[in-house]
Amino acid sequence: MGYHLISIITMRRLAGFTTVAALLPISVLAQATVEGRVGLTKSHPAPVVAQRYEIVTRGGVLSTQPPLAVVYLDGSFRKPSSQPTKQIAQKDLAFVPPLLPVQVGTRVEFPNLDDTYHSIFSYSPAKRFDLGRYRPEERPIPSEVFNIPGLVTLRCDIHEHMRGLILVLDTPYFVVTDADGRFRLSGLPFGRYTLKAWVDSKTTREQPVELKSGVTSHVDFP
Amino acid sequence: MISLSEANQRSIARFRRKLSTAMVLVVSAITIFALYLAQRNATATATRDLQQNFQTELSGLHKVQELRHAALVERCRALAEKPRIHAALEDNALDLLYPSAKDELRDLMEGEAPTAQQEAGSLHARFYRFLDSNGAVLPPPNPKDVGELSAQAEAQLSLKQLPDTKQIGYIGENTDAAEETVHEIVVAPIFSTGTGNVISALIVGFKPFELSGKGTGAGMASGIWANNRLYLPSLSKERRAALGIEMEKAVANSNSAQSNFVVTLNAVPQLLFYRRVNPGSPFPQAYEVCVYPLADSMAQLHRLRWQIGGAGMLLLVGGFVASHFVARRFAIPVQKLALVSEKNRARRRRADIALVSTRKKLRRSARYSADASHQLKSPVTVLRAGLEGLLARDDFKPDVYEELSGLLHQTHRLTGVIEDLLLLARMDAGHLQLDSEPVNLSQLIEEWLDDLGALPDSPEVKIEKEFPPGLYVAGERQYTSLIVQNLLENARKYNRPDGLIRVNAHKNGNEIVLTIGNTGSPIGQHAQAHVFDRFHRGGTVTNISGHGLGLNLARDLARLHGGDLRLICSENDWTEFEVCFVSSPKTANRSSQNT
Repeated sequence: MGYHLISIITMRRLAGFTTVAALLPISVLAQATVEGRVGLTKSHPAPVVAQRYEIVTRGGVLSTQPPLAVVYLDGSFRKPSSQPTKQIAQKDLAFVPPLLPVQVGTRVEFPNLDDTYHSIFSYSPAKRFDLGRYRPEERPIPSEVFNIPGLVTLRCDIHEHMRGLILVLDTPYFVVTDADGRFRLSGLPFGRYTLKAWVDSKTTREQPVELKSGVTSHVDFP
Repeated sequence: MISLSEANQRSIARFRRKLSTAMVLVVSAITIFALYLAQRNATATATRDLQQNFQTELSGLHKVQELRHAALVERCRALAEKPRIHAALEDNALDLLYPSAKDELRDLMEGEAPTAQQEAGSLHARFYRFLDSNGAVLPPPNPKDVGELSAQAEAQLSLKQLPDTKQIGYIGENTDAAEETVHEIVVAPIFSTGTGNVISALIVGFKPFELSGKGTGAGMASGIWANNRLYLPSLSKERRAALGIEMEKAVANSNSAQSNFVVTLNAVPQLLFYRRVNPGSPFPQAYEVCVYPLADSMAQLHRLRWQIGGAGMLLLVGGFVASHFVARRFAIPVQKLALVSEKNRARRRRADIALVSTRKKLRRSARYSADASHQLKSPVTVLRAGLEGLLARDDFKPDVYEELSGLLHQTHRLTGVIEDLLLLARMDAGHLQLDSEPVNLSQLIEEWLDDLGALPDSPEVKIEKEFPPGLYVAGERQYTSLIVQNLLENARKYNRPDGLIRVNAHKNGNEIVLTIGNTGSPIGQHAQAHVFDRFHRGGTVTNISGHGLGLNLARDLARLHGGDLRLICSENDWTEFEVCFVSSPKTANRSSQNT
């Protein structure tokens, strides 16, 4: 129970941190904000306080459980000169966070926070890599740079149930919704764009959006 | 000393022969029956032992096989769950499937192929392949890494549909023209972690487990029957072909999952056991075949039969000798019996002859007595008539009448003697027939006691009598009366003056005992033994009338009536006789007649 709460808090903090970190460099140029709600499938109608987020595959479709979505602004933006390093930890035999959106070219570290071996690998077309077996004290922390947009499925060779997802995006504007599907994306450039919501490995919804400076647009993904 | 006649000796010899034959027959029958039982028992035991040995070996083999199978299946199942293999199949990275598997199956594929002795414990794989979702073999990028297979063998791996449980199959391969090999393949389905559907299958090929024949004590060999071919490397090609034909017939005729039968290979009988090893498999039906040579057990059984036969022969001979001796021993008492019966027969013959002559003598003497009596009766009657005629005349002197009267008295005595003799003669000849009836003995005694006083020349005697009235005896009244008369007359005749006669009668059980005693000089010691002889008279008392037949007649009559007459005592002035009669129940009409 305790560590469930911790994971949720950790995840939320990390998600918030990600959003803030992504927006910082361009906050001066872009002032538009978009907020709204992504309609998430409620697989658990009863409220669960200590729900642990994990990746599940249902009918060959990967998604998080409880459901989360990634909302991002589609389009071509200039690449930043340097990308911050992101982390997906292995904690309690699970990837934390289970779903991580990154911009193309981002280095992701995979620290082992358990006191057992992990062997993280991916056979996904967007990124194939194999970190091999390593212990928590492995330094430098094993990491990979993700250069091709797409969905990368993370697996552990030792713990076959472990799954993690990295959504590699072209855009620097993205955010993970909260558990209710609400999102807020600020510091965006103005203009006409397509706002996309990644719901699961097979489903990405999109909505056209016109962003104006200083205006908070409202977009819902039903 | 009587010796056996020739006929008897012959019949004894015949008896001995028959007895001996019968015993030999019985001994033979028992021996044959015992042999039969022993033989059957031995055969049953041998068969049971054989079955047990076979079953033990077979179950040992099966245990090893099952363990190996379980290990293989578990290994394949574990491989099918490996994350890399799943990742390659699910994350659209088929090019990484075989390389990943190579890594995972390294322990199965690498290293030297094990020797035959190590095979049971070995999980060395010959090859492995993956099937795609349609059941076709996913071509390996480098066949050398995954174990090379001929195209013909590889084609046999493809399935129309992926199985959802582990499967076992056997496929044959002609590696070269001469030798055929068979692969045991284990198919482990790979399930998608997302959908749960079977997305692929891992096929791993192994060398089938087989008994080489060297490792097993009884020389059992095992192999595989699949695709109408027998793979049994420890047998020569010809034997294999012969066994293959037998197996083909057996499998065609019977649908049972397992069975056994006896086949003859090169004149050596073999027990062949087969068992279906992959029921329900999508691969062709395969049978495990075990061949167990019966030569040893047959030889053992043969030896046992000879031993039993030999023992039986010994038993038979012993039985014959024993029965011969027993027959001789049994014949000895029979011989003795025959001897005794021979003696008895001779003795009886002599006795018969003596009896016949005695009977003749008796009959002659009886006839003589009877004839003499008859002949005497008539002159006596004439004499008495003449004397009575002379007495009737009155012209004689008185002393002549006295003389005539004396003579007439003598003729009366003569008549009595003749009648007694006649009666005795009839009794001796056995002609006297009794007309038995109840006779009132008490009344009879009373009558004779009354008459006693009336007799002439009788001394004055006192009479004591003690008997109940109405004592009835069985007999003829005339003769019973004669007995009583004779005894009472003797008691009076041989009494002294002022003497005593005591008459007692009482019932004693089923008989009536009458004792008559009298005073007077006793019968001499010597004469007592002859008192019942005919014509015997107490020599001392010559002046007493009598003819010496009375007691003899009385005793014979008493005996004829089923009783007896005895002299009880005769000493010190007292002589007493006792006569026994058979008691008779009194009947009303008879008693009324007699009273």
